[in-house]
Amino acid sequence: MPVCVLNNMISVGLFTTAKLAEIETIADEFGYAPIKAALNFGYLTRKSYVAFLERSGFPLVDVRNEVVDETFVEQCDLLHLNAFLYLPLRRDGRGNLLVAVADPMDEQLQGILENKFNTKVQLVAASDLDITWMVHKLRGEFYVKEAVFSLMRKDPESSGLTTFTDYQLLFIFIAIGLSFFFLTINFVNSFIFINLAFSFIFLFAIVFKLSIALKGSKFELSEVVTKAEVKAVENNSLPVYTILLPVYKEDKLIRKLIWNLRSLDYPRGKLDVKLLIEEDDDKTLNAVKDLDFPANFETIVVPFHMPKTKPKACNYGLFFCKGVYLTIYDAEDVPDSDQLKKVVCLFRKLPKDYVVLQGALNYFNKNENLLTRMFTLEYSYWFDYMLPGLQSLDVPIPLGGTSNHFKLAKLLELGGWDPFNVTEDADLGVRVFEKKYKVGVVNSTTLEEANNEPFNWIRQRSRWIKGYMQTLLVHMRNPPRLIKKIGWRGFFGFNFFVGFTPITFLLYPLLLGFYIVYLVFDLQTVRILFPDWVLYISIFNFIAGNTLMIYVNMLAVFKRRFYELILFALMNPFYWLMHSIAAYKGLWQLIYKPFYWEKTNHGLTKVSHSASAATAAGKVNEPR
Amino acid sequence: MKLTVQRIRILSLLLVIYYLALAWIFNRAGFEHSERLFYSEKIMLLFENSENTLLTLGTTFPTTSYLINILFAPFGYLFAPIAGSIVLMVTLFFFILKDINDSELPFRTLFFSVVVLFFLHPQFVYAAISGRNIAAIVLFTYLLFRSLFFYYNNQTTYYLSLASVFLGALIFSEIKFLWLILGFLPFVVLVSLEGIKTAKGEPVALQYYQALNNRSLRRKLVNRTVSLYFILYLLPLAAIFLFRTLNQSHAGDPTYFLSSQYSNWRVTGVSTIANIMERGSGNNLNKQTQIIFPFFTMFLAPIFFSALFLFKGKLYKLLTLLTPLIFISIALIDIQFYLTAEYYIIIPIIAFVGLNFSSTVKVNRFMSSVILLAGTLLTLVGGFYYFSQTSDFEEQHLVKMVTEKKLWPETKVDTEDKILADYITSIKSEDRPVLIDDAAAYGIIAHLPNLNHLVMPLQKNFITVIENPALSVEYILIAKINNLRHNFTAMNAYNMVQMQTRLNLKSNRVFETENWIVYSVR
Repeated sequence: MPVCVLNNMISVGLFTTAKLAEIETIADEFGYAPIKAALNFGYLTRKSYVAFLERSGFPLVDVRNEVVDETFVEQCDLLHLNAFLYLPLRRDGRGNLLVAVADPMDEQLQGILENKFNTKVQLVAASDLDITWMVHKLRGEFYVKEAVFSLMRKDPESSGLTTFTDYQLLFIFIAIGLSFFFLTINFVNSFIFINLAFSFIFLFAIVFKLSIALKGSKFELSEVVTKAEVKAVENNSLPVYTILLPVYKEDKLIRKLIWNLRSLDYPRGKLDVKLLIEEDDDKTLNAVKDLDFPANFETIVVPFHMPKTKPKACNYGLFFCKGVYLTIYDAEDVPDSDQLKKVVCLFRKLPKDYVVLQGALNYFNKNENLLTRMFTLEYSYWFDYMLPGLQSLDVPIPLGGTSNHFKLAKLLELGGWDPFNVTEDADLGVRVFEKKYKVGVVNSTTLEEANNEPFNWIRQRSRWIKGYMQTLLVHMRNPPRLIKKIGWRGFFGFNFFVGFTPITFLLYPLLLGFYIVYLVFDLQTVRILFPDWVLYISIFNFIAGNTLMIYVNMLAVFKRRFYELILFALMNPFYWLMHSIAAYKGLWQLIYKPFYWEKTNHGLTKVSHSASAATAAGKVNEPR
Repeated sequence: MKLTVQRIRILSLLLVIYYLALAWIFNRAGFEHSERLFYSEKIMLLFENSENTLLTLGTTFPTTSYLINILFAPFGYLFAPIAGSIVLMVTLFFFILKDINDSELPFRTLFFSVVVLFFLHPQFVYAAISGRNIAAIVLFTYLLFRSLFFYYNNQTTYYLSLASVFLGALIFSEIKFLWLILGFLPFVVLVSLEGIKTAKGEPVALQYYQALNNRSLRRKLVNRTVSLYFILYLLPLAAIFLFRTLNQSHAGDPTYFLSSQYSNWRVTGVSTIANIMERGSGNNLNKQTQIIFPFFTMFLAPIFFSALFLFKGKLYKLLTLLTPLIFISIALIDIQFYLTAEYYIIIPIIAFVGLNFSSTVKVNRFMSSVILLAGTLLTLVGGFYYFSQTSDFEEQHLVKMVTEKKLWPETKVDTEDKILADYITSIKSEDRPVLIDDAAAYGIIAHLPNLNHLVMPLQKNFITVIENPALSVEYILIAKINNLRHNFTAMNAYNMVQMQTRLNLKSNRVFETENWIVYSVR
């Protein structure tokens, strides 16, 4: 091994030769400098490394405040700068090129740089994180622009940069205009028509969801990947697996994050974990610097560029990925330890056109309060019943926020995520289907933190609903073309699922309002607007719709045996009112700030996920 | 040997043809059940009447039979209920045949049992050709219990949800089956216990003891039981609540669908205990008043004993099979009501559930076949015995028709309803409308070609007309004192006397049958 700081650390007992060999293997596989491999694959804490450097006569320079002659930096590619952790600063008084490096003893790197710049190079020590921050800030512009505009360039019809197309605006205004026109010339009949239309849309959407949930319930006990299959996997055969962790101001969760990553049953040297931090997020960066134990992830700093969204950060991270497969987790996620192996097994079993696998999401703080209970019911119903049902129907599946596992090559082919869509996962699920690929469901769970605070919940939900509206608008720009791409079944599935979801939330308070007005104000005027047959249908739709809504949520408790939650399903009509509030907020934002990312505050729960993870996941798929 | 789906379809088609032929024969001989006529009349009202169609559609009970019959309206209003009941019985036949493929019992014997009962058992044939809602009841009963057994074997909530849907459909076929909910209560707890997995292999009592004395297990048991109850009962109970709400908003009475003679055939059509005691016949009535009645129903269907003997499974599966007996015991609480064929036929149907899903060869295959065959043949005998002893007037009429060999008259036999309908058709016109109350006269209306020139309670002007008929109508149809539905209609002999006295109504008898008189009032 060429001389580097790690060799010197053996003599002081910070390393062993065996570990050095492991690091070398990783460095070769990933194309990294050895020190990068050591710091980012859990072999070395930054604190102990800095202390060693300082003891060895290499004090760190504050590279972020150093004067940088960009003519040197501009000659370097970001990928190389990032991989070898160096930053050319400027010439010193003796004409040597000062280069800030993470490993000032790296003779090989010194040689490479002297050849490149054709000058003598003086290496100075700097924090690897500061170097990372600087190189991405100085050289990341091209990549971040690609992250933002690549999809728009390659496939403008699929980009959410334009929220409403001209035709869509025309259609909407004509529809509104016609409504007003008919209400003016014949208010009663028009009102009745609108009322009935709303009622039927509402009921139909609910019945459709019930039928999908029932279909999904057939697969309650199916294990697409068994424990025996996972056990039979040989570690040597496993490919490199990339995990993207986009974070923003999650300094409090970094320790939990490392703990969760350590729990993953996957060879350390094959985990390519990228912590994606925004350029202005010094809180998180400093939290990483201050860790007392080795980090098992690489930090990527996403340069500032609007829109400031998670999909943009993930697209940026794609340039640095080395894996065959890729997944995304949030900072607080607790995936099943064997999730990655299960995904690898399943990809190997499935036909080649399966390019994405969605894991189930659930919550570790499910019993914290009423809101978390309702949230848990909702997620259980969605991931344990709806997704399997949708998969069996062969219609587009809106992906979940995290635990989507991609074949990286196919993800790149699809153009990554749409940075302008705030539910980029849902949008990507539709695009997967459009390209004739398939989404599968893997029997593995990732536990998250359920929002336990109502306003925080509404913010989060408004983003999701806004994203669904964006997805609907994007893919319905040209309905005949969409039908041609995904067929009639896919078209109806997409509209009923992605389209009707926000619509039913918007309609629900209106329908409730009509009904309450009728019950409370028994006026002649109201009776004119509600003739017998309209009232009959409205009552039917209202009661049947609410009952079915409660019922599908009750179904949700069975797979994970969350039986204590079943009674809370009765609170669904009120929970839907919160959805409606979020829907209107989302609609308002869709018009005025469509790309605004409502940041969800995490770390609010008082429940420890490590203590409750075993009980929260429930015994899925065991015989009942 | 297994039956392919195609073969089952062919057999089903044969059964359809067989039932159609029998229905034609009996209809020609003059057998028309009043329940069938009730559905026919209500379907006719739905399509021919322009007023209050919502009331007709939304409150006619039982809903499932009525809605299914509507689908066959294009084939004729009178034929629609028969078509409906035939299709439902054949659907049941189809499902049972499909399921015998999964049974451990000797296939040929089981197949023979099914075919013999569906082709020859009087109650099965009666259910198919009478146009009554018996077919809906047995079909949904079978599907309900079938779904429950699928759930026991597969443990997925899909089948539990299906069971809930079928339970709802069954309740909307016959409201008394609501009491099945009570019958299910005990075994659901056992099902929950099974899921808790405590003291496996130990006696149930010990499992219970352990579960109830362990705080965590007790909580799990309670939670799981409550969850199962919710999934099983929520849909049917919510459907009833919805139906009652709709009845309240449109008829001003949440139980209109049960208590109104315009909505529910059972208000006027059943043989009440009082009527039967008055006219006195049939020994089955005596047995119905005894506490052992549920066992009597089992004795008329010994195939149920065969199913119990060949039973293999857990206690809760056995309790599930015995649930109908609990239900019949509860149904007997309404002692005004005579239990007709549908309460007997569900026993062999449940037996098939047990034979298909929870049985095994006992002793050896030959003996198991013998037990099954014996049960089948004795059940056949039981079916004939039932009809020979029935206290229901219409069933007695059917028996008489068969035993007195009146199935092959030279010409088609016109029933009293048909004769009256023909007469009314000949006399009514725009200038000479007829006042008729379908609370009792639905059978007559069902035979009419259309509803033109009739004044009926469904119409807004009925109340006005009935105040002084002479001003608006030419003819009135009156139920005689001896008419069994005399007390359920406003147009009866008693009120006729009142009208003649109070309104000085001048009337002439223009036509008379055993139970009706047509008066001319102008």
